[in-house]
Amino acid sequence: MSAAPDKRPTPKGKGTKGAAPAAAAGAAATAVAGAALCLTEENLGKLVAEIVAGGTRLVAPAREPQAGVGGSADYRYISSAAELAFGDSLPRMSLKGFFLPQSEVLFKWHRKGADVEIEAVPTEFPPQIVLGARPCDTAALEIVDQVMDWGLRDELWFGRRDATTIFNLSCPVEDASCFCHAVGLNPDATRAADGMLTPVPGGYLVETCTEKGAALIEGHKALFESGDTGAAAQRSKAAAQYRADARAKVAADLQIDTTRIKEWVGDHFDDDFWTALGPRCNGCAACASVCPTCHCFDIVDEPEGVGHGARRRNWDTCQTGVFTLHASGHNPRADQNSRFRQRVNHKFFIYPSRFGEVLCTGCGRCSRVCPEGQDLAEVLACIDELARA
Amino acid sequence: MKELRDLARKLLADGDAGVVIGWEEGRRGARPAFITTPDDADKLIFDARCVHNLANYLNPRKPQVKALGKPAVVVKGCDAKAVAGLLREAQLTRDRVILIGVRCGGVVQTPEMPAELTEATVATRCYGCDVREPKLVDHLVGDAQPEPPVTAALDRRIAELDALSPQERWQFWTGQLAKCTRCHACRQACPLCHCERCITDKTQPQWIESSSHLRGNFAWHLTRAQHLAGRCVGCGECERACPVGIPLSLINRKLQLVVKDLFDYTVTDDPEVPAPIGAYAVDDRQEFIE
Repeated sequence: MSAAPDKRPTPKGKGTKGAAPAAAAGAAATAVAGAALCLTEENLGKLVAEIVAGGTRLVAPAREPQAGVGGSADYRYISSAAELAFGDSLPRMSLKGFFLPQSEVLFKWHRKGADVEIEAVPTEFPPQIVLGARPCDTAALEIVDQVMDWGLRDELWFGRRDATTIFNLSCPVEDASCFCHAVGLNPDATRAADGMLTPVPGGYLVETCTEKGAALIEGHKALFESGDTGAAAQRSKAAAQYRADARAKVAADLQIDTTRIKEWVGDHFDDDFWTALGPRCNGCAACASVCPTCHCFDIVDEPEGVGHGARRRNWDTCQTGVFTLHASGHNPRADQNSRFRQRVNHKFFIYPSRFGEVLCTGCGRCSRVCPEGQDLAEVLACIDELARA
Repeated sequence: MKELRDLARKLLADGDAGVVIGWEEGRRGARPAFITTPDDADKLIFDARCVHNLANYLNPRKPQVKALGKPAVVVKGCDAKAVAGLLREAQLTRDRVILIGVRCGGVVQTPEMPAELTEATVATRCYGCDVREPKLVDHLVGDAQPEPPVTAALDRRIAELDALSPQERWQFWTGQLAKCTRCHACRQACPLCHCERCITDKTQPQWIESSSHLRGNFAWHLTRAQHLAGRCVGCGECERACPVGIPLSLINRKLQLVVKDLFDYTVTDDPEVPAPIGAYAVDDRQEFIE
């Protein structure tokens, strides 16, 4: 295990454009520094209890309280360790909703005679902690930071980013639709994370990678054991094995070169490839809902009574016809072929051209959720092959 | 399978069809396939994992499918009901589509599941299926299939919900609909959601708020339910497409039961039988104006 620190700051000012390419950034982000401590299962429960008792909001993968459909966990605000579902499959939705809620108020307005009074919303948020985030979901936040700080800094996004401390759960790799390694990450990446938990027998190996992460440990010091040297060495060995297994598993899934893909996509806007892909897609946009990096939003004004209302922003997606429908009735993306092309184009050509890295962390959710079997990993493999030819 | 592939090959080779829409093997189970050359006909498959309602691709507002030419679509009995719906509602004319019926012994809940049908894996919609051999077809392929295992899970759940107090039911649906992200995957997956402009996309005026707060979510799902009453074929594609797991089939099945009770109507694959939403009878029940 390397001990190189990973202290990539959240981009604050301008001048963050054209950051390092994804591959390089992702590779470095897998290293974890800081003392390797142990958190037993029992102490994890106590940690949850202490955080909740202290009044800090806590997000973790947890099951739906009322038994619904499906058996996977979602990231939720939890109030007891009993709700934790670390062992469940990948949460159905990504973490993005805790930073870009699916619907949020930008401001409220009240009409006073001929004037309109604007009521601002707070842009500072109380602290929140995420325990057990998947590395692909956490890394996505830092990728999206770039567009959220592009010319205009999104106060609501960064307000929540600054207020949040994230501990990843080193990922066992969900299934063959995972391809994080192919887009420069790894199942044990700590990009944008403040620390990471790696499952070891009886508990978790705990590592920190930022001051925020260290502060969280410091605040609950009694729960984290360093143990004797022998036990620590054994834990490190178990954790290293766990990670190596996960890396080997995901590496088998997809072999592509994102630079080559970027060039091909940029040069083949009118290729027949897109018309062969579009028909299957029914435009349901479930892919964009579950995607950790899709961040487009729509802005609407909604009256909430006579003379007052709210301006909200809501998740939106390029997979629908209305996304690009002009007031004239003309639609530059008039069919699903062009909409699906847009999705691939934005993630693998436009975003890397603008910000130096792909807008995808390889979580595979889009492939899992697609009711029609559209498969991004397969699409990327096809493009890679076309690009090589 | 050979019968299906040979037929598809012939339809494409003779120029009768521009595209055969059926199922193929994907990396996550069966998935829709668009076969445009006779050589690709061997990609076609049919088994219990072929859950998708391919009638959705006959929606006239899908230019990317239209561009492929006259479609020959493989339909299970339940899919044929959706085709009948499109014919009934003048979204399609019978001569513009070739229907290849497959005899069906039931499907599993999701295309990633193994093809083995058990009480635990069979799709809830197969319960009480009356179209295991589709009638609305130009060609019928496949051998007669055994009856699928019986699962009345959906009706049991509806009975449970009906037994709750209105407050408890409200709480249940509030919990479910709070999850909705308003991606409208349910609408896109629905073969009968074919409006030129969906009411939730209209902004002048904005009838339904697009925000995913409870008010907007209830407005959307209630409107959609009303609009599908007596039209929904119960294929369950909306529920399968929902990325947050809202049990939409409970709403749709309940509506089927209500429509049956009020209008003695069950969705049929006969396009000549009018649906209650498009028909008027002098003896329609009208207690609501008493």
